Amino acid sequence: MIDLLWLMVDALLVTLLLILGWITCASTDIKRGITLFTAFGLLLALIWARLRAPDLALAEAVIGAGISGALLLRAINDHKPLGSSTPQRSAWMTWSINLMALALFCVMSWSMWLTLDQVDSTRLSQLVLSQLDDSGVSNPVTAVLLNFRAYDTLLELAVVLTAVLAILALSPMRSAFQPAGVLLTGMLRWLVPVLIVSAGYLLWVGAHAPGGAFQAGAMLAAAMILLHQGGYHSGSGLNLMLLRVLLVIGIALFVGIGLVMMLLNQSFLDYSPGWAGLLILVIETAATVSIAAALTLAFVGGRPDGWEPVTDSSNPSNSAEFNS
Amino acid sequence: MISQQLLYAIAGIGLFTIGLRATLLHQQLLPRLLSLNVCGAGVFLTFIAIAYQGPDAVADPVPHALVLTGIVVAVSALAMAVALGRRLRMLDDE
Amino acid sequence: MNNLIVWVIGIPLLASLLTIIWPRRANVIALLTALACLLASILLTYQVHAGGPITHALGGWASGLGIALRIDAFSALLLLMAMLVVSAASFYANAYFADPLKQVRFWPLWLMLIVAINSLLLSGDLFNLYVTLELLGLSAVALTALSDNRAALQAAIRYLSIGLLGSLVFLAGVAFIYAGYGTLDLLQLAELARPDALTLVALALLSAGLLIKAALFPMHFWLPAAHASAPAPVSAALSALVVKVSVYILVRLWLDVFDPALSPAATLLLGILGGMAVIWGSWQALLAQRLKLMAAYSTVAQLGYLFLFLPVIVALPAGELRDNAFGALLLLALTHGFAKSALFLGAGVIQQQAGHDRIADLGGTARALPLTTFIIALAGIALVGLPPSGTFLAKWQLIASSIHSQQWWWIPVIAAGTLLATAYLFRVLGHAFGPGDSVGKVVNWGREEIPALTLALFASVILGLGSAGIWDLIVDGRIY
Repeated sequence: MIDLLWLMVDALLVTLLLILGWITCASTDIKRGITLFTAFGLLLALIWARLRAPDLALAEAVIGAGISGALLLRAINDHKPLGSSTPQRSAWMTWSINLMALALFCVMSWSMWLTLDQVDSTRLSQLVLSQLDDSGVSNPVTAVLLNFRAYDTLLELAVVLTAVLAILALSPMRSAFQPAGVLLTGMLRWLVPVLIVSAGYLLWVGAHAPGGAFQAGAMLAAAMILLHQGGYHSGSGLNLMLLRVLLVIGIALFVGIGLVMMLLNQSFLDYSPGWAGLLILVIETAATVSIAAALTLAFVGGRPDGWEPVTDSSNPSNSAEFNS
Repeated sequence: MISQQLLYAIAGIGLFTIGLRATLLHQQLLPRLLSLNVCGAGVFLTFIAIAYQGPDAVADPVPHALVLTGIVVAVSALAMAVALGRRLRMLDDE
Repeated sequence: MNNLIVWVIGIPLLASLLTIIWPRRANVIALLTALACLLASILLTYQVHAGGPITHALGGWASGLGIALRIDAFSALLLLMAMLVVSAASFYANAYFADPLKQVRFWPLWLMLIVAINSLLLSGDLFNLYVTLELLGLSAVALTALSDNRAALQAAIRYLSIGLLGSLVFLAGVAFIYAGYGTLDLLQLAELARPDALTLVALALLSAGLLIKAALFPMHFWLPAAHASAPAPVSAALSALVVKVSVYILVRLWLDVFDPALSPAATLLLGILGGMAVIWGSWQALLAQRLKLMAAYSTVAQLGYLFLFLPVIVALPAGELRDNAFGALLLLALTHGFAKSALFLGAGVIQQQAGHDRIADLGGTARALPLTTFIIALAGIALVGLPPSGTFLAKWQLIASSIHSQQWWWIPVIAAGTLLATAYLFRVLGHAFGPGDSVGKVVNWGREEIPALTLALFASVILGLGSAGIWDLIVDGRIY
C-alpha cells in the first residue's frame, strides 16, 4: 500500500518535471523561461533528494538553479529581445525534428526497459563500498570524486578554469550596480558571514556527509557576488596577484599532490595510506577557493583593471592580424 | 524498485528528447541555452535513476559523482556562452 | 621515465597555470612546454614500439573503480603528430601575435587545448572521454573567439552550442552503457560487449555525438565558419587535431571496443556519408572565395575519406589485407594533420601581409612570398595525394582495399574527390603566380614560415618516403 502511494508521488513529480521542462523549452518570453528554468531546477533538486542523492540535491539547488539562473537573468539585458527578424525553421524541418525526437524517445525508452530488469543493478556500488575504508573519507560520493575518479575532477577544474579564461579574455569587467540601498547593506552584514560559515561547514562535512568542494565553492561565490552587488568591490583595490593565485591554486595543489604521490607510490594521485583523508581535505579546500573565485569572476563577467599586464594598447596597429 | 527506476529513467529520456528537440528548433542563444540545460538535466536524471537501489539501500555513488561533474561542466559552459553573447552584443553596439 | 603518460598531461596543465600567474613570460613557458611534450611523445612512441601498449592506473585503483590512462601504437602515433603540429604552431603563434595583449590571452587557453588533446588521446574511460571532450570544446571555442570580430564570435557561439549538444548526446550514450554494463572502462567493455538493443542504441548515441563534433556531412555546417574565422595557428590546430580526435574516439569505439556489437550496414552508412562529404566538401572548397574558407571546406572533404575506410576495413578478413587498410587510414589521418596545419599557417602569413585572403586577389603572392607559396604548394600536393606524399600511398591502399572487399563503388568517389582537390589547389596557385602587387614583403621572415615549412615537408615528403620505415609501427597500431 505504502509502495503504491510512493509510486503515485513519483508519478506526480515526474509529470510535473516533464511539464516544467516542456514549457521552459517552449517559452517565447525569455524572462518567463528563465523563471521557469529556476523552478525546474528546484524541482529537480527535490527529485534528487527523493532518489537518495542528497549531494546532488545540494549542488543542483546552489549551482543548477541558483548560479545558472542568476547568470541567465544577468544575461537578459545583454541580448537582443526576441524580434521578428529571427528566421524560423521551415514547417518541413520542424516536423522532421519532431518526428526524430519522438522516434529517439521510443527507441531509447524501449531499450532501457529491456535492460533494467536484466542486468545486475548494483553495478560499481559494491566495489566502491568495499574499498571505502581505504579512500580516506566515509561519504561514498566524495570518495569517488576525490579518490577513485579524482582525475575526472581534476579535468573538471580545468574546464572551469578554461571557461573563466575565456570570459576574462572576452571583455572588461562590467560596472557595478548603483550603490546599494540601506536594506541590502543591512542584509549583507549578516547574510555574507552566514554564507561563508555555511561554505566552510559544507567543505568540512563533505568527508562523511553530503557536501564538498563544489557546493562549498558555489556558496562562497554567492557571498562574494552579494558583496559585489552591494558595492563592496573595487576593481583597482583588488590584489590581482592574489586573484591569480586563488584561481589556479585548486588545480596546482591537485596536480602537485598527485605528482608527489606518483613519485612515492608509483601512480598519479595514489594517496599514501593514512594520508588520504588529510590530502583530500587540502585538495578540496584549495578547490573550493578556486571554484569560488572562478564563479565570482564568471558572474561579474569580465577582467578587472590591469588583469592583462601589457599596457601598450596605445599601439593599435598591431592588431592587423585579426582582420579576417 | 524496478518500476521507480524505470519511471525516472524514462522521464530522463523524455527530458533529454524534449531538450534536444527544442535546441534544434530554437535559433537564438538564450532559449537554446535553456533547452540545452533541460536536455542535460534529462541525461543526469537517467544516470541517477540507474543509481537508485530502492528506498532502503545506499544508491550507487558513481553516477552521483559523474552527474556532479556534469553539473559543474554545464554551468561553466553556460557562463562562457553568456559571455560570448555579451561580447557579440558589445561589438554590435559599437 | 615510466610515467611519461602522466607527464604529457601534467606538464601543459601546470604550464597553463604558470602562464596565468606570470603572463609576461607566457610565450617562453609555452614554447618550452610544447617542446617538452614533443620530446615526451617521441619517447612514449618509442616505448610503445619497444614494449607494447602502456597502462597507468590512476590512483592505483583497479580498472573499473578507477580511471586508467592507456596508450597503444594507434594513439601514440596520433599523439606524436599532434605534438609536432602543436610545437610548430606554437613557434608560429609566437611570431604571429604581434600584439602582446593577444599573447597574454592566447597562451593559457592554447596550453589547455594541448591538455585536452593529450588527455583525450590517452583516456581509457568512457566518462573521462566526455570530460576531455568538453575541455577540448570549450578551449577550442575560446581560442576561436580570440579573433574578436563579429564573424568569429558568431561562429564561436554556434560552435559552442553545437559542441555542447554533441557532448550531451555522447553523455546519454555513456549513461546507457553504464546502465547495461556497470563499467566505463574501455578495456573491460571490449571484453563484455554484446550485440543487444541497448548496446546498439548506446553506440548510436555515442557515435552521433562524435559525428557532430567530427563534422561529418551533413553535420559539418558549423565547421567552415569557425575554422575560417579563428586566428591562423588556432585554425591549424582545429582542422588538423580537434576534429580528428573525435574521429579517433569513433574509430576506437567501432573497431576496438564494440566491434562484436557492430553490423556492417552501419559502417556502410558512415561510408556513404563520408563519400558525400568528400564530394560536397571538395565542391564547396572549389567555390570558396577565401583561402581559409577553402581550407576549412577541404577539411570537411578530407575527414570524409577517413570514414570511407570503415566499411572497407570491416569487410576485409583479419590479416594482412585488413592491416594494410588500417595502416592506410592512420597514414591518411597523420598526413592530413600535417598538410592542413601547414596550409592554414601559410594562409595566415598571406592574410597578415595582404590584409585579406580573397583568392581572386592573390596576384603577385608568388613573387612577394615565394616561401609561403611553396609551403601552400607542398601542402596541396599532400592534400591532393600526389606522390611522394603519405596521402598518395593511403589513397592507393584505399583503392586496393576497396577492390579486395568488393566495394568498387568507392573508387569513383575517390577519383572525383582527387580531381576536385586538384582543381581547387591549382586555382589558388594560379592566382598566386599571376600578376599583381597586393601582397607586401614578409616582416617576420622565417619565424612564421619555418614552422609551416616543417609541417608541409612532413606531409608531402617525410611521411611518404619514410612510410616504409614506419609502416611496421602503423600496422602495430591496429586495434581490432
